Amino acid sequence: MSAMLTVRGLHKRFGEHEVVKGVDLDVRQGEVVVIIGPSGSGKSTFIRCLNSLEEPSAGSVVVDGGESVRANDRRAMARLREDIGMVFQDYTLFPHMTVMANMILAPVRVKGVSKADAQANALALLERVGLKHKADGYPGELSGGQQQRVAIVRALAMKPRLLLFDEPTSALDPETVGEVLSVMKGLAAEGMTMIVVTHEMGFAREVADRVVFFDGGKIVEMGPPAQIFSAPEHPRTRQFLQSVLH
Amino acid sequence: MDFDFNYLLAQWPALLDGMLMTLRVSLLAIAFSLLIGVLGGAVRALRMPVLSQIVAMYVELIRNTPILVQLFFIFYGLPAIGLELSLFWSGVVCLSVWAGAYQVENMRGGLATVEHKMREASMALSLKPHQYFYLVALPIAFRTSLPAVLNTAISLLKNSSYLQAIGLAELTFVAVDRIATDFRAIEMFSAICVMYLALVAILSLLTGRLSAHLQRPFRH
Ligand SMILES: Nc1ncnc2c1ncn2[C@@H]1O[C@H](COP(=O)(O)OP(=O)(O)O)[C@@H](O)[C@H]1O
Ligand SMILES: [Mg+2]
Repeated sequence: MSAMLTVRGLHKRFGEHEVVKGVDLDVRQGEVVVIIGPSGSGKSTFIRCLNSLEEPSAGSVVVDGGESVRANDRRAMARLREDIGMVFQDYTLFPHMTVMANMILAPVRVKGVSKADAQANALALLERVGLKHKADGYPGELSGGQQQRVAIVRALAMKPRLLLFDEPTSALDPETVGEVLSVMKGLAAEGMTMIVVTHEMGFAREVADRVVFFDGGKIVEMGPPAQIFSAPEHPRTRQFLQSVLH
Repeated sequence: MDFDFNYLLAQWPALLDGMLMTLRVSLLAIAFSLLIGVLGGAVRALRMPVLSQIVAMYVELIRNTPILVQLFFIFYGLPAIGLELSLFWSGVVCLSVWAGAYQVENMRGGLATVEHKMREASMALSLKPHQYFYLVALPIAFRTSLPAVLNTAISLLKNSSYLQAIGLAELTFVAVDRIATDFRAIEMFSAICVMYLALVAILSLLTGRLSAHLQRPFRH
């Protein structure tokens, strides 16, 4: 399968403090990569660099066989962003707009899709996550899990080639975590390329093609979930898994 | 003491003209001051270099000098440097510039409450910074600032009475002008107080409607 994302030598420092210390990562088309690791290890910073919410200090990024972009070329990175969707931990639906208005905003304003087409597409996406009946509601009327499902399909409405998730279930009530994870499983099954930062080890085990263990701003080890969870090579991975699996 | 209603009735056409002038000047100035507020508030909230300092100086200058002095500066001062405005436009400019300073602060306050994650979500959706500003930040901020924005608009309406000092035939000017010839001070001042109250009440009512409309997404 072809490479969807190629990252080379990615660094990010905030002043003196280096948070991402040279990351190389290849993600194949349709692959689901789950990033795990202790809090503060730079996972968020790393994936935020991929769609230039943070400006990387060094490195290069290639999306889907396109041009290789020096990671600190701000303009070029911003162009890559159109192919990359992102779902955050916090609810980030725009509170003053209906669910439908949230869904069609970027397709209409950024991609120039006609309003009618954008609406039709939005309804189909909402139907997929069981929220078609909420199209005219406001985010504040939805539960956390519902908001997060809308956030996922809002990102999908831009037809991204790669979806990033930064702890999408960490802010949810336990009883709504499942509904969000099952939407993500559905996407994975349909072949969406995804990078997911999460503490949901069950999800990682079940859905990931590859699990990446991140610590101290670096990839410590990676491999298929069976290998990482049953036979981690690195002592730090073992230590981390022990702390989260108990 | 006699309160002569018939006198007021006879003066009604003149008072109505004065009120319409007050309304025209004020509504135009409210619109311009909001424009100043939105642009200046954006410059301040986004901390645009140089511009932000200039706007801050403008705000301080206006808030710390008497409006009457500002009015005289515009009406008597500016012609000296070749900038001559009509009576009407002097009034509009004075009130716009005065209220604009307060609206900048009102909008800045509202924009400061918009959470950073809204900006990130907009960026992740590839919205341009200016699209984020007017499609996301501004509507959210405006809802928060609306009470303060209304207060400033009401102050503007009341302060339009200063324009009688340069001879613009607004409501207060009409009253003072008639009192000078007819000496019916109680009748006239009572009448214009009621008229100002009515204008303020209408303004509040309209803003209340707008506020209820803007609050709709946030009620649940
Ligand atoms: N904008 C920022 N400025 C300075 N330091 C930051 C910033 N964002 C994150 N950091 C620091 O980078 C480190 C990694 O943070 P983060 O990427 O959020 O880790 P994780 O997502 O793995 O918990 C932390 O020490 C954090 O304090
Ligand atoms: Mg994080």
